Amino acid sequence: MKHLKPINKKARQMERLAEEGKLDEARVMQVVNGCTSTFDPGWEVDPFGGIAALCQPVEADLYGCADPCWWPAQVPDTINTHPNWSAEAPSGHRDWRNLQPVFRKK
Amino acid sequence: MKRMSLGLRFAAWASLALAALMPAHEAHAAEPSGPALLNAKCSTCHARSETGALFRIDAQRKTPEGWMMTIDRMQKWHGVILTEAEEATLIKHLADTRGLAPEEAAPFRYAVERRTLVETPDDSDLAAMCARCHSYARVGLQRRAEGEWRRLAHMHLGQWPTLEYQSLSRDRKWWELASGELPGKLAAKWPLVSEAWTAWQRHPTASLAGRWRVAGHRPGKGDYQGVLTIGRGNGEDRYSLDYQLTWADGTVERASGGAVLYTGYEWRGAVTLGNERVSEVLRLSPDGTRLHGRWFVDGQDAIGADMVAVRGKAVIAALSPAYLKAGETRRITIAGSGLGGTVSLGADVRIDKIETATAETVTVIASAQAKAKPGLRDVAVGTAKASGALAVYDAVSSVRVEPETMLARLGGGGAPVPVAPAQFEAVAYMAAPEGEIRIGPMPAKWSAAGFDETAIHDEDARFGGVVSASGLFTPAEAGPNSKRNGNNNVANLLIKAEIGDGARVVEGKAHLIVAPQRWNDAAIR
Repeated sequence: MKHLKPINKKARQMERLAEEGKLDEARVMQVVNGCTSTFDPGWEVDPFGGIAALCQPVEADLYGCADPCWWPAQVPDTINTHPNWSAEAPSGHRDWRNLQPVFRKK
Repeated sequence: MKRMSLGLRFAAWASLALAALMPAHEAHAAEPSGPALLNAKCSTCHARSETGALFRIDAQRKTPEGWMMTIDRMQKWHGVILTEAEEATLIKHLADTRGLAPEEAAPFRYAVERRTLVETPDDSDLAAMCARCHSYARVGLQRRAEGEWRRLAHMHLGQWPTLEYQSLSRDRKWWELASGELPGKLAAKWPLVSEAWTAWQRHPTASLAGRWRVAGHRPGKGDYQGVLTIGRGNGEDRYSLDYQLTWADGTVERASGGAVLYTGYEWRGAVTLGNERVSEVLRLSPDGTRLHGRWFVDGQDAIGADMVAVRGKAVIAALSPAYLKAGETRRITIAGSGLGGTVSLGADVRIDKIETATAETVTVIASAQAKAKPGLRDVAVGTAKASGALAVYDAVSSVRVEPETMLARLGGGGAPVPVAPAQFEAVAYMAAPEGEIRIGPMPAKWSAAGFDETAIHDEDARFGGVVSASGLFTPAEAGPNSKRNGNNNVANLLIKAEIGDGARVVEGKAHLIVAPQRWNDAAIR
């Protein structure tokens, strides 16, 4: 970390864990079945098993993350499967109430 | 896209039972068979080999839910057009002919029963590869040939190309691993051909029509018992259901619906219980006399109940209550089938009075001696036996909240995705030399607090939702909250349960994450 300086809370947490030699533990933090725990962060939990380092609010940059399929298990992937999912919600932050669940039709 | 009603969207797994609910003429009379549909709808793309095997389809085996997900993808990705009845027929045929043996599905039943738990993958490489986005169970409930596992890796990269840039992908030679050594490992661990499946395919499928004795427990509400009358439905392995249930508080409820038996043992039912639509995921024992598993409310699958149904001679389904404190006298109901003969609740427990003694119900007033030895007792009614079915305890030594780690989801707020609540239960344990012994669920006083310093600072307990007197956590509304600097009402909470044991109060805790809503979901998460 000599050449990098943390500038936000998440980065400071990462630095602290790295110094304590616990970075690997954070990466493989277990969560309940069906949750996405991947580090960048997950949808339900952050790499520390908490929520402080999640993208918040999710609506603010929803498409920035969802369009490249970051959490395809929770958020419809608009690359291949649901290209028109956000058609009626041009702004995730403003129009999120128009976003429909895509879970398969009956 | 045509808008479907929410109830239908969220009840996808219930569709596995829909065929049973359809009138005969809709479900079957004019419909082609499973093999005919495979030919007509699938083999146009999935070519047959020289041996007649369908490309890909004949190189994998799955649960009914697994085939449902595959057929769903074929419709979404490749434009396959199927009626509901055709889809139901195909799922049934594929699960029957390319399914899992009971022992193959057993380790991962929690996923189809929609139970929430922290998985314990037995292979860290596979977990890192597969279980970062979805459950380990979703993989463990499939069997494929090596080439077919490899095609699955290709499918993932093709459909979700940024997979390579995720953590634990970009920091190693992910694609070399995913497409190189991993398929062979998966094929060795979860192979297409197995002795268990070969043997199970020869197992005759039982007819389930008749009268069954039912018992179970619903967290937040209590024990229930009753009778399930199963009638023949419209078609092979399809049944009609009629329940008469009595809850521990004396409330009587009727329920009715339908069910399909897949693969000779995988029961999927859809039932209307009062105002609730519930889905049943049960497993039939190989001898065809016992169904057990879980049912849950459609769209709110954390709310549900364990269930066992038995038929035949001299079999005990359950006791209610299933515990007795030393020095205490209580009424205990034993539910079963073909009961008769002497009742025994084990050492140090006296039967003071037998109130009811029918073939299906034995109700007794029982007393545990003041110095009764703490531990589990074998229960018997004549030749019917239930091992360790009654817990005799002297003191509650600890309380564990179930589920110990749980997830709830924000919802509503004027948007179409509803909240996903969490149901907790306080389970008492007694101390024993060999380790703590489970006594059973007990009424508790519930509260929620911030899980750590950050959660306390961010007032997660204030914003995340509320826990009721019955341990039901109802999450707050979805969407940015202006009172929270525009953040969501996500929360990291400690759920506390306090049980009174005489003058003592014993406390248990659980960890609850209140997460954002999900717009996507699957029958196996």
